[in-house]
This record gives sequence, C-alpha cells and structure tokens, in this order.
Amino acid sequence: MKSTSRYSLARPSRRHWLGYLLLAPAVLLIALIIVYPLLVSLDLSFQNVGIPRLGQTRRPFTTVNYERLFASAEFWNACWVTFKLVVIVTFLCSLLGLATALLVNNKFKGRSLARLFVALPWAIPEVIAVVIFAWIFDSSFGLMNWLLVSLGLSDQMINWFSDPQAAFAVVCAVMIWKGYPFVSIMALAGLQSIPEDFYHAARVDGAGPWQRLVHITLPCLMPVLGVTMVLVMLWVFRDFSIIYVLTGGGPLKATQTLSIMTYEHAFGFFKMGYASAVGIVTLVVCIIASRLLIGRRAESIY
Amino acid sequence: MIAHWRKLLAATAAAMALAVAGPAAAQTKTLKFVSWQKDERGVGDWWGEVIKEFERTHPGVKIEWTKVERGAYADTMTTLFAGGQPPEIVHLASFEFQKFADNGWLENLGPWIEKSKLDLKGWSGQEKCTWQKETVCIMMLYFGYIMAYNEEILAKEGLSVPKNYAEFLAAARKTTKDTNGDNILDQFGTGHETKGGGGQYLSEMLNYVLDAKANWTDADGKITINTPEMIEGLSRWKTIVKENLTPRDLSAGEVRQLFVDGKIAMKIDGPWLYPLMEKAKPETRSKLKLAMVPFSPPVGGSSNVLAMPSEIADETKELVWDFIMIATSDKFQSLFATLASSTPPSPRADISDAKKAVPHFDLLVEAQRAAASAGVDRIPTGLELPFNEFAKMVMEEAQRMIIQDLDPKAVAATIQSKAEAIQKQ
Repeated sequence: MKSTSRYSLARPSRRHWLGYLLLAPAVLLIALIIVYPLLVSLDLSFQNVGIPRLGQTRRPFTTVNYERLFASAEFWNACWVTFKLVVIVTFLCSLLGLATALLVNNKFKGRSLARLFVALPWAIPEVIAVVIFAWIFDSSFGLMNWLLVSLGLSDQMINWFSDPQAAFAVVCAVMIWKGYPFVSIMALAGLQSIPEDFYHAARVDGAGPWQRLVHITLPCLMPVLGVTMVLVMLWVFRDFSIIYVLTGGGPLKATQTLSIMTYEHAFGFFKMGYASAVGIVTLVVCIIASRLLIGRRAESIY
Repeated sequence: MIAHWRKLLAATAAAMALAVAGPAAAQTKTLKFVSWQKDERGVGDWWGEVIKEFERTHPGVKIEWTKVERGAYADTMTTLFAGGQPPEIVHLASFEFQKFADNGWLENLGPWIEKSKLDLKGWSGQEKCTWQKETVCIMMLYFGYIMAYNEEILAKEGLSVPKNYAEFLAAARKTTKDTNGDNILDQFGTGHETKGGGGQYLSEMLNYVLDAKANWTDADGKITINTPEMIEGLSRWKTIVKENLTPRDLSAGEVRQLFVDGKIAMKIDGPWLYPLMEKAKPETRSKLKLAMVPFSPPVGGSSNVLAMPSEIADETKELVWDFIMIATSDKFQSLFATLASSTPPSPRADISDAKKAVPHFDLLVEAQRAAASAGVDRIPTGLELPFNEFAKMVMEEAQRMIIQDLDPKAVAATIQSKAEAIQKQ
C-alpha cells in the first residue's frame, strides 16, 4: 500500500510524470518517423554514397558533398529560384488572403457562399488542381492561350512551359491560387476575434476606413498573420508536387527549387549522399528563416 | 477405463496435430512482382498469363502482382532495394537496371542459364543485360520504331507517305495548320514529347540524330557529339520544335492520344502505339495506318528486363528462375507476339498466329531487325550508369538551343564537354 502511494501519479509532486507518460508515445513516434530519418540523412550527407542500404557498412566520412554543393551553380540557382518563389508566393498569398478575409468578414447577401468559394482551392487536392492548371496553360490546346488569342491580348500561342519566365509565372500563379485560402481562413478567424469596441472608439475619434485598417485591424491580426506567413513560407519552401507535376523544375532549371533538386539527385541520378546534403542545407535555411520571422512577429506585437 | 483414456489421448493428439498441420497445409508462399505494365493493354495481359501458368504449375505459391506507375517506379524500386525488401521478381526498365546491378543487388544469372540450358542465342538485346561481365537480367523486349500516319490528313494535302527526312519535313510543314481559322494551330505534322523526363526526350531526338548518321557515343563508349553529323541532327530537332511542327509541352501519352484523335499527321513511336490506335473512334481508326519510319536506321532498342535479387533465399531463387523460364519459354514468347502485338525477343517464337491477328506484324519485325542490325539502342554505350543525368543534360541544352535560338554547332560542343564531365565522374 505504501509503495503504491509512493509511485501514485495522483500525488501533486508526481503529476508531471503523468504528462511525460502521456506525451511519450507521441514523442517516440515523432523520433521514429522524423528524427531518425533526419539523422540518417545527416549521416548520408557526409558520405560519398550512391544508393545506400540499411545495415550497409558506413562509407568514410567526407565533406565532398558539401564542397561540391557550394561550388555548384545549380545549387545557387535553386536557392535563388526558391527565394524568389517564397517571397512572391508568400507576399501575394498574404495580400490576397487578407483581402478576401476582409471581404467575407463584411455582412452582405451571399456571404456564406462567398466564404465557400474563397476556401474552395484549399479543399481541392493539390495534384488534381495542378493537372487542371497544366491543361489550362497547355501551350497547344490550353484555355489560357485560347482566351489570350481570342481576346486579342496575344497574337501568338505562348509556350507556357517552354519559356523560363512564363513557366515561373505559372508555378507562382498555381501556388498562390492554392495557398491564399489558408491565409484567408486564418485571417478571418483573427478578424472575428477583434473586439468591435476598438472600431467604435476609432469611429468616434474620426478614424477613416484606411486608418482603422492600418491602426486597428493589421496590428490586431499580426499574431495570426505572423504565424500564417511562416507556415505559408515553409509550405512554399518544401512544396514538391505543384512544381514537379507542372514543370519538373524546367525549363532550363527556371523552376528548380531546393526540394526538386533534392528529389532529382536522390531518385533521378541516385546520388543519395549529395541529395542528403541539399536536404540538410534546405532544412537549415528553413529553420533560420522561420526563427527570423517568428522573432520579428514577437517584436511587432509586444 | 484405460481404453477410454487412450481414445481420449489419441483424439487430443489428433486434434493438436490437425491444429498445427492445418494452417501449414493452407499456408502459401508469396512472391512479390512489381511492374508498371500491369494495366497496359496487351503486354499486361501477357504478364497475367505468365503468372497464371506459374501458379498453375507451382501449387502453394502465389504471385502478388502490384502496379507502380512508371513515373514513381525508380523511386519505389530504389526504396525497396535500399530497405532490404526487394520484390522477388524484379522488373526494371533497360535504362535503370545498371544502377541496381552496380550495387550488387542483382543475381548473376549466368549459372542459372547454364544449369537450365536456357538458349539465349539470337535473343534480341540480350547482350545489353551483361554488366561487369555477368548476365544480370533477361531482356523482355527489343523493338524498332514504326511510323503511324493519318492517311486522310496526308491525302488532303496531296502527300504520299514520306520515305526520307526531306519528305517527312515537307509533309510535316504542309500538314501543320490552323484548320478552323481561329489563329491557333490545331493540327500538327508530327508529335514528340517535349516535356517530362530526359530519357524520353532523348529518344524523340534520336530519330533525327540517327538519320543524320550521328550518335551520342561510339561502340567503345567514347563521346561523339561534337561532330558535323550531330550538328545536323540537332539542327533537324531544332527545326521540328522551333517551327511548331509538333505540339509543345506535352507528355508522350498526351501526344499519342492526339494522334489517335486525328490531330497529328505522322507519329513515330514504338509498337505500343498500335493497341492505342485500336481504341480510336471508328471514324478515325480507319484513317490511321502504319509504315516504316522515313529515317534510317529506325530508333530502337531494349525496353525492359526481368531479374532476380541477389540476397533472397536459395529456394526462392529457384521459384523466381522458374518464373523466368516460363516467361522465356517458346510457348509464352509466341503468346507475347499475339497478346502484346509486339516483337518477342526470342528467335524461336512462333509468330504465325500474331501475323494472322495483327496485320502489320511483318512491319514490326522489319523495324526491329533494322534497328538491331544497326546496333541501335536508346541507352548510349559508356553512359549506362549516369544515363539519367546525361539525358537530363542533353534535354536542357536542346531546350536552351530552341528557347535562346542558339547555333547547333555551339550546342554540340557544349553537350560534348558536359557529357565528358559526366562520364568522368
């Protein structure tokens, strides 16, 4: 009886044990499916290995993958493409998401339907959406070219996926279309939590719509928008299927991001050591960028 | 009383024996077989027949046949092998088995061939299955390209079936047009995949490269790209794509469908185009015909191979070898010709039934022989291991030539130096 009470989780001093116990399965699972592959990947990045095999003798330690990576024009190009994509898509997703959230936050007839349409792209599976867009932007038989030519906006067919700038623009457009509803939903939730009193008081003080937006809405939304932007940025950083299905990273590596480069070297060229190095560098960049953004959010609010 | 106990004991023992032996008797051994061809009309049906025959002749052994899409195939197989869980029956494309063989993951089939006295003399493309002096696979298809054409489109322009590149180019130019006056091209002279993987892109280019008497490497594996012949081949490819004589940015499957829909005048492709032509609408089907390609030699080569993992149990290897023996038997090679409407690699296959069932079968055989006698293969000698990297590089440089309107001479020099660098890695 004495020993039972000694280890009883009901005792106030033992309550944290219960917390650890309940967390343990999740922590173990995460360690198994995230941390372990990450450590394997880190280990592989320091080996000159083609196709590795579980249980295989470890190859000698080498930094050759990182040396090659940092000396490679392909890597810096992928970094530049990723950076451009992250900045453009995150910025436009946030802008469009915020605008649509502000729109559907107003009371008007058909608001529920409008909210449904705003959120719709988020609900469509990514690959299906991409295939639809691939057909819309098809260079020979696509709807977009037909519209542009029919409306007299272009006198010739645009080779959307054979032109580096056009291909990049299409990738951005699809990512923005797929990503803005997330910002919109999050911003809408944030907007609904702003007390109406703030706006009443501002109106009494003579603040116009623009001033209310800049001095009340945006500052109050910053905690939500900050986290949302980090999540969107990380999504753009790691997204693979949109780019892979649309362009495969081409033409001329114009849409080759770090995630596409990782995949290509791993499963296209079977250079797992080199691909792991690209993956590790991508992870480090992601962590740094997230920390910078989250830190900035904290400063803005508090 | 004693007798009663004896009976009870005997009954208990019998029940226990049944309990133990029952599941064992019902237990079946399963061989995993992963393939991208599972649902392909023709060849998929043939694999189905091979599996049926194997299961019929090996009671208690089942084959678990799983389809993996071609686009995800290399990733899946790499993961399965790397994880130590390869399928027992290994089906790979002829441009990817080298990586697996190089890792020592494929069994040396030499002793198995010798033991079972499998006669591979004259077996099309079998020499491609030799890796570091070991036979690591059995070639399952070696083919030659044929040309399918839309008789009506050619006839409307007063054209006959082209017999050489000049005629082909003239016909392609004449048949590429806007048929409904909306300023948008909706009918194309020919069709090539210009989007997707480097391997297919290289095969498409190879039509023009080979006809210009060029190739990526020579028989010794030396890079032979910076040559006048290759410059001519690259110029031809540039002309076809730059002049929009082919629809742009479509995958191979989409281009084939356009041809079947009557939107393309001439389509150069492998024997697998015929089953698709059969699916065309009746009003289009009657206009789709086949002929020899207007290029010499035709593109051709090895397609896919059967192999066995090196690290499976010996008794499992015996079963896998039995499966290979069925697939390579005269009976099933003959059936391959009939069901897949394609040329079997075995020289002993009886193709008389196939000739009766498939009107163009002689053409397929002729194309296969023309490609084989010219020693054509889509995978260049000496670049087997880095083939994907090489193909991607050539595709990008060819795209650059078209997008930036570069001189093919300069492009050939660039590809030569980059290919040499890839080969030296």
